[in-house]
Amino acid sequence: MITALGAAEFKLLLRNRTAASLAFGMPLLLGGYFALAFGDEGWSTAVALQLLSTLGFTVYVTTTTSLASRRQDHYLKRLRTGAASDAVVLTGVLLPPLLLAPAQAALLLGVSLAAGAPLPARPDLLALAVVGGAAACCAAGVATSGVTSTAELAQITTGPFFLALLGGGIWSLGSTDARTLLAPGGGVAELVEVAWGGPGDPGLAALSLLGWTAVGGALAVRLFRWDART
Amino acid sequence: MRNPVIDVTGLRCRYGDFEAVRGVDLEVAQGELFALLGTNGAGKTTVLEALEGLRAPSGGRVRVLGVDPHRERSAIRARTGVVLQESGFPADLTVGEMARLWRRGDHGPELERLDLAHRRDVRIKQLSGGERRRLDLLLAVLGRPELLFLDEPTTGLDPESRQRTWEVVRGLLAEGTTVLLTTHYLEEAESLAHRLAILHEGVVAVSGALVDVLAAQPARISFDMPGRHDVASLPMLTGDVVHAPSGRVDVRTRDLQEDLGALLAWARRDGLVLGRLRAHQASLEDVFHAARTGREVVAA
Repeated sequence: MITALGAAEFKLLLRNRTAASLAFGMPLLLGGYFALAFGDEGWSTAVALQLLSTLGFTVYVTTTTSLASRRQDHYLKRLRTGAASDAVVLTGVLLPPLLLAPAQAALLLGVSLAAGAPLPARPDLLALAVVGGAAACCAAGVATSGVTSTAELAQITTGPFFLALLGGGIWSLGSTDARTLLAPGGGVAELVEVAWGGPGDPGLAALSLLGWTAVGGALAVRLFRWDART
Repeated sequence: MRNPVIDVTGLRCRYGDFEAVRGVDLEVAQGELFALLGTNGAGKTTVLEALEGLRAPSGGRVRVLGVDPHRERSAIRARTGVVLQESGFPADLTVGEMARLWRRGDHGPELERLDLAHRRDVRIKQLSGGERRRLDLLLAVLGRPELLFLDEPTTGLDPESRQRTWEVVRGLLAEGTTVLLTTHYLEEAESLAHRLAILHEGVVAVSGALVDVLAAQPARISFDMPGRHDVASLPMLTGDVVHAPSGRVDVRTRDLQEDLGALLAWARRDGLVLGRLRAHQASLEDVFHAARTGREVVAA
C-alpha cells in the first residue's frame, strides 16, 4: 500500500508543473551553481550548500506543500477512510520527497566529483548528514503543514525555517563556534565539513540534527491536521 | 435490538467552544438502511465522522461493528465503506488510477456498473459532478463492505444518476449490507430508509421506523373557504382548523378519512366548491418541518 500511495504521489508531483520544478529543477539548478561558484573555495562548502538546498526544496518545501494541498483537497481524509493505517498514509504521501532527496544528493555529489572535487574522507558522515537532515526537514515540513491552510500559503509559511536552514548552514561553514549548531542547517554543514577533513565535532552536529528532528516531530504531533474542517 | 451494527449513546462532539453534537443516541441493526436527516449544521457529518472513527467524541459511547471506531479504527476500516461529503480526489489522477490505488485489481465490472468504464483514462479534474459522485460510490463499495456510510451521496446528481445510485444501494441492501445515509432529499430517505433520525442543533429531534414517524404526524386537509362562509359554518371535525386571512383553511387531523368525509358531505349538501382541495397523509417533509420548528416533536 505504501508503494501504491508513493507511486500515486510521484505521478501527482510530475503532473503538477510548479511542484515538480520546485522538487526536481530547483535543487539541481542551485546545486550546479554552487559547484561552479564555490568549488574553488573548498568543495565541502559547495557540497554543504548543495545538500542544504536539496533538503530545503525537495524535502522541507515539498513535504509542507504536498500535505497542505492533499488536506485542502480532502484527499488525506479520504485516505484515512481506506484500508491503510495513518502511518502508512503519511509515509506513502511523503515517499517522493524522502526518496528524491538522497537521489538528488547523490547526483549532485557526482557532478561535484566530476568537476574535480576529492572523495570525502568520511563518507559515513556525509550519509549521516543526508539522512539526519532529511529527517529533520521532513518533521519540520509535517509541522509547518499544520499552520498552512492552502498550498499557496506554503510559499510564505516555509520561509522562516527554510532561511534558518540555509542561513544556519552558511553561518556554520568555516566557523568553529558551536552555537552555529543551534540553527537547523548547522549540523548538516558541519557534518559535511568534517566529512571532507574540516574542523568540527561530528558528535555534536549529529546531536543537533537529532534535536531538530525531535522538536519538529513534537510540533508535528501537536500541529498536524488530517482534515481542513477541524 | 440484538447486536446492533451501530450503537451510540450520549454522543457529544465539540469544535473548540462550540458543541456541534449534544448527546445523540442511535442504534442501527444489521442489514437496514438508517437515514440521518437534518438541516445544514445540524451535526450530521460530525456524527458520521465519529462513527467512521475519524473524530474522537468529547463524550458518550460509540460502538461500530462491536468496537470503538476511533480507538480501534484499524479493526473496522476494512469492513466499512465511506462516501464522504467532499470526495477528496487528487485532481490529476485518472479514474482507473484512483480505483487501482484504492484497491488492487482491474475493477472493470464495477466501473461498468456505475457507467464509468468509458472514463477510465480521464483525469478526475475533467469529470462532471455526477461522475465524481459515482466514482465515490464505486470506491466505497469496492471492498464489499459490511457497513456503508453515505454522506449526501446524491447531492448535485441528475435524476438518472440518482436512480442509478439508489439501484446500487438497494442491491447492497439485498446482499445484507448495513447503510447509514445522510441526505437533503427527503424523498430519497422516504424511498430507501427503514428507520431514520432527524437531527436538529446537535440533538435527535425525531427518530424511529419510517412508518411510525410518519404516522405520528397529523394528516392535512387544505382548501379555499367558499365565499361568505367562516370556520363556524364548517361541520364538526376531529382535527384542528386554521383559517388564514388569505381564505385558505388548513385542517391537521389524526383521522383523515373521517374529517375529509365530513367536509365533502357538507360541501355536497350545501352545493359548495372547495377550491384547490388537497388531502394527504403526513410526508417526511411535514415531519422534518415540525422537527425544525420544534412543533409536535415525537419520539416513536
